[in-house]
Amino acid sequence: MGDPVVQFQIISKAPEETAKFYSSLFGWRVSANNPLGYRQILTGTADGIQGGIWPAPPQSPNFVQLFMAVDDVKACIAKAEKLGAKLVIPATVLPEGDEMAVMHDPQGMSFALWRRKVSI
Amino acid sequence: MPSAECLRRGRPLPRFASESHCLASHLPVSIRPMSESRFRERLETEFRARREKNPRYSLRAFAAFLGVDHSTLSQILRGVRRPPVRAVRAWGRKLGMGPEEVAVYIAAGHLADPSSSERMEQLRHWTAEAMAVISDRAHWRILEFSRMPGFTPDCRRIAAELSLSVDEINLALGRLLRLRLLELNQPGKWKALIGPGTGEPEFRKLALKRVQQMAAEDHVRFVGGR
Repeated sequence: MGDPVVQFQIISKAPEETAKFYSSLFGWRVSANNPLGYRQILTGTADGIQGGIWPAPPQSPNFVQLFMAVDDVKACIAKAEKLGAKLVIPATVLPEGDEMAVMHDPQGMSFALWRRKVSI
Repeated sequence: MPSAECLRRGRPLPRFASESHCLASHLPVSIRPMSESRFRERLETEFRARREKNPRYSLRAFAAFLGVDHSTLSQILRGVRRPPVRAVRAWGRKLGMGPEEVAVYIAAGHLADPSSSERMEQLRHWTAEAMAVISDRAHWRILEFSRMPGFTPDCRRIAAELSLSVDEINLALGRLLRLRLLELNQPGKWKALIGPGTGEPEFRKLALKRVQQMAAEDHVRFVGGR
């Protein structure tokens, strides 16, 4: 099984303005009605991937991150580190049960690993 | 194209080396993206071309053509000295460059080379992390909150309790995770990684120490940091 790109995330210094801009431009719906208060972007189509918006720290530029779905976040972190990536946010279980980690690739570009909550 | 200076001094090549190559394909050949050393490379190329045509062409002859003392030119070609702006202008003209092309070389001379701007970026990042963690109480209050009985991991509720916006909470949450001061390893459970009896002043010290450690891994040292 491949590890697909499942989500894009816009890291913005002005998340509310970013949400307004893209909703106005593309008709996307942005909902923050979840425990993290995370602005989820629903593009309104099953084509392509869905996204989200997260606030950027003051020292950071605005940028876009890709989320790759993997079966085992910790194993993928170990593999990425062997390949020269750097761990930024360790494997983290979000309030609704999804697991995520953020890394920098060897060129310093940020990307995220993602594992959807496993239903028991 | 690799910088001759980097190769000579055995320094790692700037990261932009390959990007500048890509960019170059969109620009006129004579106006490539440049760093400070590009004008020197241009002089070297010109000198080499003249020597290929005439093996007896000397550095003295090249210096005389440019109207400069040969030892000054030698220092510039070895990277010991930077060519002054007026020299770039005058020599550029003598080498047949137009004023626009000369202006690009002059502008490039004012830009930091990629490796030093990358170091500056790291310094900016870690200083901002240190400043945020010691000046923004949201970090401490989130940790304090997470240790309370009946804590619910809901950023909207935390924001309301602390009279802050959800973005402010999430910025601090991201920083606590990056600095390994908070761990979220099972649904609904947040674990402050600061020891049970830690108070706010100790937390600030610990947080700052953590920033210094992580910055040191990036080869960034604060004044006074160990």
